[in-house]
Amino acid sequence: MVTAQRPAPNCSAGIGLRLPHVAKVVATRPKLGFIEVHAENYMANTVALDQLLNLRRDYSVSVHGVALSLGSAEQLDRIHLDRFKALIECVQPMLVSEHLAWSAIGGVYLNDLLPLPYTEESLDLFCGHVEEVQEALGRPLLIENPASYLRYSQSSIPEAEFLTEVVRRAGCGILCDVNNIYISARNLRFDPIAYLDALPIEAIGEIHLAGHHTAEGVDILIDDHGSRVVKPVWDLHAAALQRFGPVPALIEWDANLPALEILLDEARHVQELADACCHVDPA
Amino acid sequence: MCKSSPMPAAMSTLLELQMQLRHAVLGGGDTAEIVVAIRGDGLDPAARVGIYRNHAFATLGASLQGTFPVVCRLVDKRFFAYAAHEYLRKHPPHSRCLVEYGADFADFLANFEPCKALPYLADVARFEWALNIAASVREAAPLPLQVLAKVPASKAAYLTLHLQPSLSYVVSPWPIDAIWQANQENEVPSVDLASGGAGLEIRRTRDAIAWLRLDPATFAFRRALADGLVLAAAMRSATVQDPAFDFAAALQHIVGEGLAVAYGLSWEKKTLKPRLVDLARKEAR
Repeated sequence: MVTAQRPAPNCSAGIGLRLPHVAKVVATRPKLGFIEVHAENYMANTVALDQLLNLRRDYSVSVHGVALSLGSAEQLDRIHLDRFKALIECVQPMLVSEHLAWSAIGGVYLNDLLPLPYTEESLDLFCGHVEEVQEALGRPLLIENPASYLRYSQSSIPEAEFLTEVVRRAGCGILCDVNNIYISARNLRFDPIAYLDALPIEAIGEIHLAGHHTAEGVDILIDDHGSRVVKPVWDLHAAALQRFGPVPALIEWDANLPALEILLDEARHVQELADACCHVDPA
Repeated sequence: MCKSSPMPAAMSTLLELQMQLRHAVLGGGDTAEIVVAIRGDGLDPAARVGIYRNHAFATLGASLQGTFPVVCRLVDKRFFAYAAHEYLRKHPPHSRCLVEYGADFADFLANFEPCKALPYLADVARFEWALNIAASVREAAPLPLQVLAKVPASKAAYLTLHLQPSLSYVVSPWPIDAIWQANQENEVPSVDLASGGAGLEIRRTRDAIAWLRLDPATFAFRRALADGLVLAAAMRSATVQDPAFDFAAALQHIVGEGLAVAYGLSWEKKTLKPRLVDLARKEAR
């Protein structure tokens, strides 16, 4: 079994690098702790891959998969996994992550991170798929908690407990998306601090932060990565830092992509919080 | 580990659940089956499913709009969203890399009744798909002329060439390159639709995307080679267009322009591959 080893304490702040910003980052080389890219944007785009390999010389890179569909109730797509593996071998990233979700079934890709029912059966299936990917890559994954808008009647295991059990069985780590915890807690009515407290400290390898918006006409928060991080999420992030200590933290922005400077400004704030955290508790 | 073990029987419930959600998200939007499995918690379960459905259609529609911006401009955003919605339902993505989604969007538009008033629309989409390939596929090292010169003259008829992977050939009875170019402007200048069609070669050259209008014989020659035909068959395709076609010069231009990346020798005459095979090859990249 491939087992996660927590990376050395790292206070770095990064940005999710999207294709429209790549040329500017290549040209201006802004100061950043690391950059994170979506694997699927580079697996079939060799022009973008060449730019990423150029950036790789100056930046630590994290590769974030969005379509391995680890929760699908069918065999993993080996062709996609082979392309994913080829990318990882080429880029040699500092972190590799995926999601507690599914996004494809029966040969159709839905381009969304769809929820799993949390049951013993889905736990077996999900752990098997995480192990299969880790074996293929020869390195551990970080698994990200999703933003949720629904709960299945058959779910019998709380999400944080489910994720903790995946870590125990498959030996992976956790990508703690603080914005997702905030959104899910509001949408499904649970305590976000209790969720943080239920996660195993030693498994947390990265934190994600992003913006969200409120759905029209209903009391539901939508994870759109389309705005600045809001204060309640910064507050939850502070609680996460207090519990987990310094870990790499990332600003994600996908919808309404702003000028690169806005992302860099958000990342600077992440860095200030991380520096304060490192200063107070370097352990 | 479940590397190659068969799916446990108990998982069929999860599989059914996922097929039901897939149907509700990208199918006809019928949520009757899936809502039974979802807790309301103060909100209609169908509305909860609708959030995922909206996200899938919005992001996949945006992906298509990013690949086909001029098609979108020609029909306006609202109509494009409607066409994309119909396309998504009938042709959902199979590849998980969105740069590969939309290979058959042009064919869909060609048969989409509400687009019949714009007979050039599907060919503009073909041109934009070719631009998409040229934007995302790096240039390969070109084949040096000296390497090709070593092929014995007696075998030259059976020569096949592998051309640049970013390369596409698009032919249309409409001036699709002029239509595309005009739609890069804020104020779209008028385009004379009666000015005739074009045989276009679209490719990446280093950091730029470029296209050329080719004369009919050169277009036929190059496209035949791109389709994998042997030199003799490609020559025949060209001489149908122009009996005086100078194939030796044409071959030199292909190598000189860096279009060829490798060669092969086939002792069997190939027949023209269907264009579908070509499309599948591009989608598989």
